[in-house]
Amino acid sequence: MRQQGAVSPSDGTSAIVVVEKLMKRFGRFTALNDVNLTVAKGEKIVLCGPSGSGKSTLIRCINHIEKHDGGRIVVDGVELMDRMADINSVRCEVGMVFQSFNLFPHLSVVENCMLAPMKVRGLSRAEAHERAMGLLRKVRIDGQADKYPAQLSGGQQQRVAIARALCMQPKIMLFDEPTSALDPEMVKEVLDTMVQLAGEGMTMVCVTHEMGFAREVADRVVFMDQGSIVEEGEPASFFRAPRTERARGFLNQIIH
Amino acid sequence: MNSLDFSILVQAWPYLWSGLLFSLALTVAAFVVGMLLGTCFALVQHFELPVVSQIVRSYIALIRSIPLILVLFWFFFLVPIVLGHLYGNGRPIPIGATWTAFITFGLFEAAYYSEIIRVGLRAVNKGQFEACQALALSTFDTYRCVILPQVIRVASPIILSQTIILFQDTSLVYVLSLTDLLGAASKLAQLNGRLVEMYLVVAMVYLAISSAASQCVASLRRRYALGGAHR
Repeated sequence: MRQQGAVSPSDGTSAIVVVEKLMKRFGRFTALNDVNLTVAKGEKIVLCGPSGSGKSTLIRCINHIEKHDGGRIVVDGVELMDRMADINSVRCEVGMVFQSFNLFPHLSVVENCMLAPMKVRGLSRAEAHERAMGLLRKVRIDGQADKYPAQLSGGQQQRVAIARALCMQPKIMLFDEPTSALDPEMVKEVLDTMVQLAGEGMTMVCVTHEMGFAREVADRVVFMDQGSIVEEGEPASFFRAPRTERARGFLNQIIH
Repeated sequence: MNSLDFSILVQAWPYLWSGLLFSLALTVAAFVVGMLLGTCFALVQHFELPVVSQIVRSYIALIRSIPLILVLFWFFFLVPIVLGHLYGNGRPIPIGATWTAFITFGLFEAAYYSEIIRVGLRAVNKGQFEACQALALSTFDTYRCVILPQVIRVASPIILSQTIILFQDTSLVYVLSLTDLLGAASKLAQLNGRLVEMYLVVAMVYLAISSAASQCVASLRRRYALGGAHR
């Protein structure tokens, strides 16, 4: 099963996510149409595009929160089909951060981080606690470990959500508009955490409209529209001289 | 009747006490059975399990459309006949009034608790399920550690009021000639003729227990308010 990853992508050997000819429909609406994307180990990709362009759907397909209707997705050598064992082994390696944080409101910050490592990875309470505190320290929120999510600001909650995902020691992190639900003054603290994570070599796929972040961190910017990848390239050239009309229009709108 | 005489309470108290204990035992047992079974019923419907969920849904609709007192009668007369056909030569096997009461109340309350929990399940934010999926939690752990604790917390006031109603409904066991708190009081009242005193006292006991239960839940909610069900 593992060696199915040998479906080597066009360019390199170190691909960790391979998406081929991906199709996704919601009823009659085609959310993704023939999407191909390869993510190399350690690569940072920023997905951008107008709302409804399918970028969130794409990353939600990567850990099978949305089921795809056609094409293939291979994550870390495992192809995502319907088998639950495959799905869960992929989800163990893929961390996800949501726009609306989705912390567990009835658990304290540190318990939020401990739950999955204990239940899924089989860590003892003490081990899970130690790992959780280590990662909470990293996102600089260890002082609030015993508080409940509702007692934290949005930025703090999102940093806890990042720590919670990291506690599973994933190989890839997916970010689904992590700063879109935040007050402006809290965006930076979350982005700083993401930049720090990128600096440590984490493979990241981020759906975001934070173009400053994209410029600073991304190896590649992927622009999507109407369910397809329209253009991709290095951030410098993408922002300076987008090749397609649609990307140009989009950039004009968000940069004012 | 122009002067109230509560001195008869002294001799009445042991009998009232045994009636109260029966009411409480029946309430606790029906609560435990009802919540466990009700949660299963709610989950069956939530998962939309084929066939089973239709059966559960019809069961709940049936139970909820029939007065409890009638269900008690049914169980008392029908279950022995059914048991007789299953395990014997067709002669009814009586299960006794006490068993009838415990089984009936448990099954009856399950229908009501299950509706409460089913609605609670629908109220949990979709993002909670997605976060569990993203963390690779099993379905079992998702419900046990994340979803159900939140449902119980949101639904606790409704669960409590249902339980208070249950506590009061235990008085219906008089149709099975069982003696609960109210039954004890009314039997004594007929003996000693002190109707007003007896009914005043039981009313006070019901009031005290029900309001203590409300207070208890209110303080629980305050304690959990910080980690409240709403973000």
